[in-house]
Amino acid sequence: MSDTSTQNPDAVADVLSAREAYNAGLARSGARGRSWTVAAIVLILLIALPALQFVGNYNYALHMALYTLMYVAMASSWNILGGYTGYVSLGHNVFFCIGGYVSGMILAKMGVSTLITAPLAGLVAAAVGVGVGTITLRMRGPTFIISSIALLMIVRILFDNWGYVGGANGVTLPVTDLDVRWAKIPYYYAMLVIALLAVVASYRIKHSKFGLGLRAISQDEVKAESAGIDTATYKVAAFAVSAFFVGMTGAIWGEYLTYLRPNIFLIILVAAYMVLMCIIGGKGTVTGPIVGAILIVAFNEFFAATLGASEINILATGLIMVLVLLYFPLGVVGTLAQKGRLPRFLDWD
Amino acid sequence: MGHTLQILILGLCLGGVYALMACGLSLVFGVMRIVNLAHPSLIIAGAFISYWCFTLFGIDPILSLPISAAILFVIGLILYKLVFEKEARSAKYSEMTVLLTFAVAMVVDGALGAMFSNTQRVTSPDYATDAFFFGTIFLPKGQLYAGLISIAIIIGLVAFLRYTRLGYAIRATSQNRAAAELLGVNVNFVSLISFGIGVGLAGAAGSLVSFVFSFFPAKHWEWIAILMSLVVLGGMGSVQGTVIGAFLLAVISAFVGAYAGATWSTMTFFVALFVILLVRPQGLFGEKPEHV
Amino acid sequence: MSELLRVSGVVAGYGSGPAILNGSDLTVEPGKIHCIIGPNGAGKSTLLKAIVGILKPREGEVVFEGERLNGMRPDQVLRRGIAFVPQERALFPKMSVRENLRMGGFVLDDRVELQRRIDEVLERFPVLKERADQLAGTMSGGQQQTLSMARAMLLRPKIVMLDEPSLGLAPKIVQDMFDIMKMLRDEGATILLVEQNAMMGLKNSDWGVVLDLGRTLFEGPAKEILSDPRIQELYLGGRSSAAA
Repeated sequence: MSDTSTQNPDAVADVLSAREAYNAGLARSGARGRSWTVAAIVLILLIALPALQFVGNYNYALHMALYTLMYVAMASSWNILGGYTGYVSLGHNVFFCIGGYVSGMILAKMGVSTLITAPLAGLVAAAVGVGVGTITLRMRGPTFIISSIALLMIVRILFDNWGYVGGANGVTLPVTDLDVRWAKIPYYYAMLVIALLAVVASYRIKHSKFGLGLRAISQDEVKAESAGIDTATYKVAAFAVSAFFVGMTGAIWGEYLTYLRPNIFLIILVAAYMVLMCIIGGKGTVTGPIVGAILIVAFNEFFAATLGASEINILATGLIMVLVLLYFPLGVVGTLAQKGRLPRFLDWD
Repeated sequence: MGHTLQILILGLCLGGVYALMACGLSLVFGVMRIVNLAHPSLIIAGAFISYWCFTLFGIDPILSLPISAAILFVIGLILYKLVFEKEARSAKYSEMTVLLTFAVAMVVDGALGAMFSNTQRVTSPDYATDAFFFGTIFLPKGQLYAGLISIAIIIGLVAFLRYTRLGYAIRATSQNRAAAELLGVNVNFVSLISFGIGVGLAGAAGSLVSFVFSFFPAKHWEWIAILMSLVVLGGMGSVQGTVIGAFLLAVISAFVGAYAGATWSTMTFFVALFVILLVRPQGLFGEKPEHV
Repeated sequence: MSELLRVSGVVAGYGSGPAILNGSDLTVEPGKIHCIIGPNGAGKSTLLKAIVGILKPREGEVVFEGERLNGMRPDQVLRRGIAFVPQERALFPKMSVRENLRMGGFVLDDRVELQRRIDEVLERFPVLKERADQLAGTMSGGQQQTLSMARAMLLRPKIVMLDEPSLGLAPKIVQDMFDIMKMLRDEGATILLVEQNAMMGLKNSDWGVVLDLGRTLFEGPAKEILSDPRIQELYLGGRSSAAA
């Protein structure tokens, strides 16, 4: 150092700092720190939201928040399998249905609230996920996607014809004793907790060795396997975690709606939403599914308010999906990150 | 014995229709590696064309079949140009196109639902409710005609693929795209035309479906898994294989339906799909092994 | 000496990636077997692809019978008389031998003439005639390579380009392939091949081209190249094997 620095210290310093800046630009953004403040503020606002009921009737706002949180949880869970691992499931609402029926039937037969049994519903969904995943995750690419649709059709036929759970007519669940003003609040908090858990799980997985393995699988499964990753176990584990949270949301959603019926859980639109939310927000990113869920729920609400018919809704959802896939495949978070313009509060990758 | 023969005949008639429904799907996958989840929704679009031709103008669905096929052929060309041509250069092409066709299926489903509502419909020319009787065995005319027309169209398709210049180009492109291009085949044009033919076949199948099954816009989700099971069983991309798969599964499902109830006859296809995929975990979509 | 094809100063690469060819030159004379050798990644296959139009040359010229080929599509190059057999043989596995040959003449519009040429090729290759209706995918590697070459001959090209015809074949079969090439040459065909096995390739060729780092290092009669000590040292695996 002593020899060279004497020649032209300024120039050397310039080059060094330019190189430092360049390297900093190359480094993955993880180094710039997390925006815990924004996350904390959002969480506090969400916790405080039901307080609105003290000053007036904000049931609609509460419902929308609950609905959005449900999809945040579902899209984030889907993302663990579809985004990180690269296994696109178009039948993920099967676990939504299983969760809903497990807790819902316990409520109907024994009167135990789904708020208590939701974790059990999640576990059952995860167990089914392990079983199904062990079979279907052996297929790759388009084959897996088709098998997920077949699974959805099979489960739909089973539930439509299963007398014990009321077949296609479903089961009516007891209505809560709470006053209309407070009736939504327990379910709201339950969804908030599930959404929070799902997002935290998604974040922790992404930054764990497990998550690294999953991402390796999505890039090149054969190489991942030859790198010593037990791909079969990893994939099934991802499937199970993913099914777990989706199952829990199903449990809460059933009691919240006060009835169970195959066509609220097992319609293709629910599965399509999970996929679309992740893609529009940014598949494989932590905050993408959250952004996507907010966008799609808001968009649907706008459509329902202005156009009504669910057929138009399907049409519009499909159209948006085509456009996003063709022209915006990285989604909001992915595109911003690629351009280096991702705001810090969305950067948890 | 008579009963068994009866079920077999009904199964074979339906098998013909299923074969026609699936062979466009198989063709498109063979040439472009596109798993067209929108195929069944386009069949329903074809069914609506024949339904309205019959309801409004009294045109027999068998006569409106060419109209429906032609309209859907053009729709196929437009879809390919708008949606799939761009994706042909993407790295995760195959997976991407599945999602794209899924989205297209939603668009078609939603559009048909918004226009015609999701009520059950069926085109009812006289023969749809008539039958030939041979002793104790009866042959429903509708299913028989549909089955025979399907088989005729498929024979035409196979002959086209086997003996015409364009047919050679289509087969060559589906077996080795790069080599076909080197030998002077315009593979982009072949892809476009094959997609058009595949969708046109959906239109033709739709006309027959309109009087064989009752249909409504959202019914295609059920058919996706049914058609996929036929295509996968027959070896993805092989039209002949698909036809064999269709007859096989249609007959099995007819027997399941006769002995266990109509609900479980549909289930046959889904379970078959699962089992086939299970037995060949690489899927019949798997990369073909290298020939050395 | 007359020249059929001349490549001069060609620069080419894949997409927007780095240039693989950095000014390659090549001259092809009629009635000879030309062999391009060089280490892995030297740009041998890339050179063939640049000639045939799969890659567009960024600089330099490809001139065939006085006509510039730069910027032409593969099928246009094919119609002008350059047939290309790529490394992976490029057969249609589910088509019969006869159908594969028919694809070789896809650009011919005259069906009668096409049929005549298919019969002619089948006569010339008894191995293929015996298996005319067998599916190409079910044949052995050597038979498949023979079919690829036969198919390339169908348009009676002025030059046949082969990318590593010996790849994946047993040594004895490889010699058969070279014998077929010599037979075709003796009938007047011009052949340009890329060979990983440099010794083998040069021994069976008339003209050699040494390519490395995307540049032509040496061009000359195959015998001269075989006996050049520097080339032996660098590209033929040292003296010991060259002496064998």
